[in-house]
Amino acid sequence: MNDVTDELIGFLRTKSFLDEAVLLTTTDSLTERGIIDSIGLIEFVDFIQDRYAIEIPGEYLTPENFDTLQGITNLISQLSK
Amino acid sequence: MNETVNMCRRCVLHSAMPGVNIDHESGLCQFCRNPSEFSPQERVLAQKDMDALLGHTRGEGSLDVIYALSGGKDSSYGLYRIKQEHPDLRIRAILFDNGFISPQAIRNARTICDVAGAEFLRLTVQEDLLKRAFRNAAQSHDVYPDAARLRASDICNTCISIVKQKLMEAAVVSAAPHIMFAFTPGQTLSPVIRLSPAFMRWSRSLFEAQLKKMGIADDDEMFLLKKDVIGQGKQDGARYMIHPLLVWDYDESNILRILGDIGWVPPALGDKNSTNCLLNSLTIFNHIQKYGFHPYACEIAGLVRCGTMSREEGLEKLNGRVTIPLVKDIAEKLALSPEYSP
Repeated sequence: MNDVTDELIGFLRTKSFLDEAVLLTTTDSLTERGIIDSIGLIEFVDFIQDRYAIEIPGEYLTPENFDTLQGITNLISQLSK
Repeated sequence: MNETVNMCRRCVLHSAMPGVNIDHESGLCQFCRNPSEFSPQERVLAQKDMDALLGHTRGEGSLDVIYALSGGKDSSYGLYRIKQEHPDLRIRAILFDNGFISPQAIRNARTICDVAGAEFLRLTVQEDLLKRAFRNAAQSHDVYPDAARLRASDICNTCISIVKQKLMEAAVVSAAPHIMFAFTPGQTLSPVIRLSPAFMRWSRSLFEAQLKKMGIADDDEMFLLKKDVIGQGKQDGARYMIHPLLVWDYDESNILRILGDIGWVPPALGDKNSTNCLLNSLTIFNHIQKYGFHPYACEIAGLVRCGTMSREEGLEKLNGRVTIPLVKDIAEKLALSPEYSP
């Protein structure tokens, strides 16, 4: 896992309801595993925009981009360029 | 609560709740160790942003705001105050009558609309469909993710999801750019959320999957945002969901005082956590029975964390007993299986 993934997991553990004992892979669905709900998703988007100084266009808020750590890190990398 | 359960020493969360981690050294949960609530300075800035957005983004049609009004204290106060601060806003307040809203709450909603100068609309759905949805929610154990069931009961998550879906639909159809909810600082952290069509589609598909898990197809889109409505309207079809109570000082006793002055009457529902919905006692009983913790714990923890409620007041609310005859009565009305009734 890279630094961005570690930071995302750090957010989920400290500001959301990801139990310390739960192991998360980069391809796990965050919604299907019950780690974020629709409100949590919005808070997660806020964190990512602030932390990485990017603006996530509304059309990017899709399960393909945002439901896995891999999708989110790819999106951050794409929008940071 | 047994002796192996640790409670956060600052708020009211405890280690028996899934995903709540109490640090052994500090005795604090992860939210108290890393608080996200606004400071007073941040709240002032957030209010300026909200006011600016409301000031310059107006509806193309006859409405600017679709407002979620329950007739309870928070939404009644929110409507009154937003009209005090933005008298030019054209607001339609929608009361979603889930069949269990107290008559006094409905009277309160009408009164507040009259006093504030907002349009009032009572939205209903066929009673048997709603009861089936609430019954299936109460009897489910895995419909909502942990994160959602930490914030609210399965029945409340179902009800609020319907309200969100239908208010998004109303905003798109009436070309109103804003949707307003009176969530408290304990219920959410973001005062303004931009709802793009893509996000609305995702939100719809998440709720559709949850309804299916409950055995509800909703082919007629009675609960879901109508698919062909998404994306209609001006610009890119986006709307803003606004939570004004997050940027104002939240002081429950002051809110009740102001509401009393303008004719709002507290309904006598027999529980300390709701001033509008008769389902509330049952939802608390059902949630504790199924999951072992109070559905309002997260909300109350947030209020304690941002200083608008003391920890003692919070614990008192969480430890308050539900009214068993009321729970039994509502369980009967929903035709719940006997194991879900007291």
